[in-house]
Amino acid sequence: MTTKDNCSCDLGLILGMLTLRLWLGARAIQTGLEKFAGTAQRETLVLVDGVPNDYGLMETTTVKAYSFGDYHGVPVPLYDKFVAEPLIPTWGLNLYDIILGPALIILGLTVLLGIATRYSLFLMGLVYTSLTFGLILIKQDAGVAWLGIHIVMVVMALALAKYNKFAILKKW
Amino acid sequence: MNFELPSLSRRDFITKSTLGAGLVLGAPSVLKAKEAGAPADDIRVGFIGCGKQHEVIFNAMVNIPGVRYVAACDIMEGRRKATFNRIGSKFRYKINQYVSAEEMLAKEDLDAVFVATPDFWHAPHTVMALEAGCHVYCEKMMSHTIEGARSMVAAMDRTGKLCQIGHQRRSNPRYRYVLDELIHKENICGQIININGQWNRALSSSQDIVSKPSLLPEAEILREYGFNNGADHTLSLDELRHRFLNWRFYTDLSGGPISDLGAHQIDIFNWFMGSQPKSVMASGGRSFFKDREHFDNVMCIFDYDTPQGNARAFYQVLTTTSAGGGYYESFMGTEGTIEISEREAYTNIYKESGAENDKWDKLVQRGLLKKEAVGVAAGGSDAIASYASAPPDKYALPGVITKAPHTPHIENFLSTIRGEATLTCDARHALESEAPIYWVNPAANNNQIINFTEEHLGA
Repeated sequence: MTTKDNCSCDLGLILGMLTLRLWLGARAIQTGLEKFAGTAQRETLVLVDGVPNDYGLMETTTVKAYSFGDYHGVPVPLYDKFVAEPLIPTWGLNLYDIILGPALIILGLTVLLGIATRYSLFLMGLVYTSLTFGLILIKQDAGVAWLGIHIVMVVMALALAKYNKFAILKKW
Repeated sequence: MNFELPSLSRRDFITKSTLGAGLVLGAPSVLKAKEAGAPADDIRVGFIGCGKQHEVIFNAMVNIPGVRYVAACDIMEGRRKATFNRIGSKFRYKINQYVSAEEMLAKEDLDAVFVATPDFWHAPHTVMALEAGCHVYCEKMMSHTIEGARSMVAAMDRTGKLCQIGHQRRSNPRYRYVLDELIHKENICGQIININGQWNRALSSSQDIVSKPSLLPEAEILREYGFNNGADHTLSLDELRHRFLNWRFYTDLSGGPISDLGAHQIDIFNWFMGSQPKSVMASGGRSFFKDREHFDNVMCIFDYDTPQGNARAFYQVLTTTSAGGGYYESFMGTEGTIEISEREAYTNIYKESGAENDKWDKLVQRGLLKKEAVGVAAGGSDAIASYASAPPDKYALPGVITKAPHTPHIENFLSTIRGEATLTCDARHALESEAPIYWVNPAANNNQIINFTEEHLGA
């Protein structure tokens, strides 16, 4: 058995790469989906003597719901701060706002399923870098550090790319 | 007096009311515009007045189906355009704009008109629209004078058209539930002996309204539309514009804070008590806003004789202080107190310590009330047990309304036009309830108790 064979068949590294793919994929997909999250109010007529009241008194419960109407790529409080930043043009911010959610979901899926893993990881790294740029501008140092950990994990996954198994498209 | 509502047809009602039928405050309207089952075509709506209150009305009705907005009039171009744009962007069609209400009513084919002009224009605009064959929803106070309000009732009777007055609490499910279920059916208050109501508003919310002069009407049109009424000298353009924006401060243009804010709540006193008061005493002053014609703070006490016994209602409107619990009406009885407000946050129900626990527990079990908290004595070293009553338990209504406060009232108006409902606050019943309010300012001005007669309160 050659050294190369030993390396690419190392079960620990294979599982390590798989774990990274699972983490980074799930993280990106769920973050993208959360950008479509909002709240919906469920209303039911209050029961009096076991029957719905005639007056229209309602009991309301607020539940979390996902819809295209609730989509905000860049959360509103952050959007308002970015608008005031001279280094971020409004048109660019609006474009970013549109593509961020779908981009995270798509890249999350490609990393998770192992489709062109290297390029997917690289693009994911670029997305996290772009987010870091915005957070630097508005002085969110904790967020910058948090994204830095993501970048380290992306780099680790790229370093372990040759141990990438259970992938749909191994090329690239 | 009998406050039970007889079941009458519209024709019966008009006939009997013309003959001087008694007070029916307990269940206001029996008017119906169309027979039930009539085609539910779109109701063609026009707006007279496109200011701030119009916005409130429009926002409350914008999601009600079956309405076609046709036209709007206002003497201020910017307001007309704002309404035009608001409707255009929401419904993708254009409405016609007018300066004059007469012209709008003459040219447009309208089923209903919403009047949201300054108080001194309510009666002329309402009468004009009723005479033009429109059903009318008019903001409260009906008019700045009782004669104006009476002319609206007469026009409603004469034309047979609907005239709903904007006391929107009358259609509010929470208020109707409290009156019908908790007070009438379950009698949770016991004998209601005292009523207390207030609207406390901060100085910051009571300042003069200002606007860019370039947006405001010119002197000629402001004079034409009566904004110089009651002035003792020829008004300058600035003075006229001040009156245009701040008509609520002038005695010939409005009833002042007691009618602006108090009308809604004193209406609830009379509605819930099912009767008109027999007297009023009042005090007021220009305590902070010394240049205003109306008193900035007014306190008054109404005396009632009800089937349960005599009762008193205290009401205060303050425009200089917001502390004290906001705005509410509190009905205080021997067994319980219902403090109700258009705002859920200001609504509370209390059980007196001596009231039957079983009865209240059953109300909770049946879903009529929610128990919030057991009364807890304040305690502390300054507490003297013999001075204090046992603290009342706190309850809440079992539900909320999920619409804007004005929406049910407008829905009631539109449903009645379609023949599917009866008005909850037609002009006659609104006047029966509003009439005592017209005598608060005179009582305060003359520092006297006014004992009401038919002449004071009659429609």
